[in-house]
Amino acid sequence: MSDATPAPLFEARKITRHFLGLKAVNEVSFTLAPKQILGLIGPNGAGKTTLVNLISGTLLADSGELRFEGTRIDPLPPPRRAYLGISRTFQVMKPFPRLSVLENVTVGALFGFAGGERSRAAARERARDVLDFVGLLHRIDQHADQLSGPDRKRLELAKALAMRPKLLLLDEVMAGLTPGEVDEVVTIIHKIRASGVGILVIEHVMRAIRSLSDRILVLHHGEAIAEGKPDAVLADARVIEAYLGKRRA
Amino acid sequence: MKLRPLLLVLAVVLLALLPVLGDEVTMQYGIDVLLFATIAQAWNILGGFTGYASFGNSAFYGLGTYGTAIAMTQWGQPFWLGLVFAAFLGVACALLIGVPILRLRGHYFAIATLGLSATLAAIIANLDIAGRNLGLVLPLTRNEPMFYEASLALLVAASLTVAWIARSRFGMGLLAIREDEDAAQVMGVSTTRYKVAALALSAFFTAIAGGIHAYWITFIDPGSAFDLTLNVRMVIMAMFGGPGTVLGPVVGAFILTVVYQLLASSISTAAALLFGLVIVVAVIFMPRGLWDLGQGIGRFGPRYLLQNIRMHRL
Amino acid sequence: MLFAQLLANGVLLGGLYGLMALGMSLVWGVLNIVNLAHGALIMLGGYCVYFLFTGLGIDPFAALPIAMLVLFAVGYVLQRFVLNLVIRSALLNTLLITFGLEVVLTYCAQLAFSADFRTINPPYAGANIDLLGVTLPVVRLGAFATALVLAALMWMLLERTKLGRAIRATAQNLTAARLYGVDPVQLYAITFGLGAALAGAAGGLYGLVSQVTPYMGSALTAKSFVIAIMGGLENPFGIVLGGVVIGLAEALAAIYIGPTFTDAISFGLLVLILVARPARSLQVT
Repeated sequence: MSDATPAPLFEARKITRHFLGLKAVNEVSFTLAPKQILGLIGPNGAGKTTLVNLISGTLLADSGELRFEGTRIDPLPPPRRAYLGISRTFQVMKPFPRLSVLENVTVGALFGFAGGERSRAAARERARDVLDFVGLLHRIDQHADQLSGPDRKRLELAKALAMRPKLLLLDEVMAGLTPGEVDEVVTIIHKIRASGVGILVIEHVMRAIRSLSDRILVLHHGEAIAEGKPDAVLADARVIEAYLGKRRA
Repeated sequence: MKLRPLLLVLAVVLLALLPVLGDEVTMQYGIDVLLFATIAQAWNILGGFTGYASFGNSAFYGLGTYGTAIAMTQWGQPFWLGLVFAAFLGVACALLIGVPILRLRGHYFAIATLGLSATLAAIIANLDIAGRNLGLVLPLTRNEPMFYEASLALLVAASLTVAWIARSRFGMGLLAIREDEDAAQVMGVSTTRYKVAALALSAFFTAIAGGIHAYWITFIDPGSAFDLTLNVRMVIMAMFGGPGTVLGPVVGAFILTVVYQLLASSISTAAALLFGLVIVVAVIFMPRGLWDLGQGIGRFGPRYLLQNIRMHRL
Repeated sequence: MLFAQLLANGVLLGGLYGLMALGMSLVWGVLNIVNLAHGALIMLGGYCVYFLFTGLGIDPFAALPIAMLVLFAVGYVLQRFVLNLVIRSALLNTLLITFGLEVVLTYCAQLAFSADFRTINPPYAGANIDLLGVTLPVVRLGAFATALVLAALMWMLLERTKLGRAIRATAQNLTAARLYGVDPVQLYAITFGLGAALAGAAGGLYGLVSQVTPYMGSALTAKSFVIAIMGGLENPFGIVLGGVVIGLAEALAAIYIGPTFTDAISFGLLVLILVARPARSLQVT
């Protein structure tokens, strides 16, 4: 798997989660090196979001281990994991509806990695910088529930970034974007990685995944069926069958 | 913006001078209003900022009432110690039941808190030290100005606390919990701790208010101390004025208490009826409280009244 | 023997309690409105049957359908033209507005009917049936039977009719139901009307076994709360069962602990149930 000597940023060992007897995630193992982008793909219902939920702590695993910077995090609740440096976006976006865009992101700056900023003023400053970075500065005072779709995605990303994560989990941030917008997001993600963040990206937009990922992990029916460099994985017969077979069914 | 704090200080000073300027009836009236404003403000911390609408803050009120009464009548302690004990009981209760009860949300939380209050009342009514069903009689004192200033001081303290919450990191966390608790969690807000803290703060002020009230009216019993209708009244005042704002609950309490007293002194049955109508109309036209309405009309004019309906109807 | 009598009393009254809770749980489950004026609707139903009986001489049980129709209309109007205006705002607002309505209805009733206690006393009011050494008042037995019948009718309505399907669909997913052609305004109003009709029936029966006063509402609302939660909001029979449990608990508590604690008992039970349930199953807001 990983040929690097530095310790992995994140490691999952045989992580498993059931729902009413169904194995949504079944003994999945993988590692993520620092500053690495890992693409996570698979047909709908493969367990990708469940895996992200398990990493962020929104769901607790039934068995297996999750290690972040060497420490076991699987028993920890979500706020603890955020404190350690893990942050995520939600596929079905969860803005704070009646707070302004600035306030939304300020929450991330106030509570993220290492407990965030102590003062609201400092947090607001950082929030502004992040909003500038993702291109939402012009909407700074609008209520979050008044934003359009693409802007909501930007807000979701900004909230996660304001937390100063070491590991960023992105769940379909490009769904519904135009090709131009997709390219913008890809550039942003590259910049984020360059600043030292490890990123796990769930995406269906193949073009983006191919250009973004250092490695790709493929899930199907909750199991990891392939992992490796993008070209190799995307040409893998099992992966192709997983997608085609799903379509025929 | 600098004008506002100055006006507020002026208002507080004027209120503090009421015992000198006004008569005894006005003062008694004032004590009632101030205590209600306090418990509305206390509710605001948990209900308005954190989004957990408690219908059982009367539990803390009752604990504060009995705490002060027991300290003063059974243990012969002075009033201020009675209040300390009141606060202690309220906060202790909040810390004890906070974690399990705050796992519930929405209507379930509301009802569980209501149940808590009813259950506490039943327990107290069985304790000898609390005088069982007959209640307790506190030492008689006719020092209305003292009660008035104490109530005012408590309201100011509660409002300053809410003002601090509105500006602090803690308060931002509470708002995040209100808007989306799951998102708040993954962003690093220790939701359980924050919710319990909000509950404890709410309990603190409510209990002390109960304590002041106990010594003031001298006679307490389980029914009146844990009066469940208090809950609806404090919620209505906070909601009418503006939940999640600093001054909203105070304004709401002042206005509604005045309205109710005015109506009651004229025709009593119709008073209650009109009060009910006022509530119905208020909820329809100002679903986010008076404060929000004031700001809305300031920005959009009277059409704002209809805008609220259009937004919230099916 | 005394114990058996206690049980019988508890069960009979409990069935009626279940009927009361039925209306509230229907509205709660479908519209997500906790109707604090529910007790006031029960009260209105009681007065309806009272006046039909004393004024027109109609037998109380026969007057029930008429009272139900009247209350259906009242409920429909309330939902359609008042509650509808705030239904999409904060949860708390529907609580507050129904509270306001409760106050209005209670005091209107006091002005119209005075605060006197009314009882509905048909000629057979004192009759009893003796079964296995247990005395069953005919009136209470009739109330119990009516409660069961109405619960069964409601179940049939929800499960077997087109309207019922529409109601259940709307309860689960309003957006999807709209896509299938359900008019939510109309449907909500009908559902609320049904809840009010059930409350009206419960009120009429309550007048037979106890008294009707303008203030009877709030205690009955509280009781219906508790039962609705215990019985779960989906299942009419679960609710009737919940009512019976409360009825039994009250009967036993009245003898063994003391009559002043009956409400506290229900609430205490409720708090325990709510808190002891695993957190996962209460993710609904």
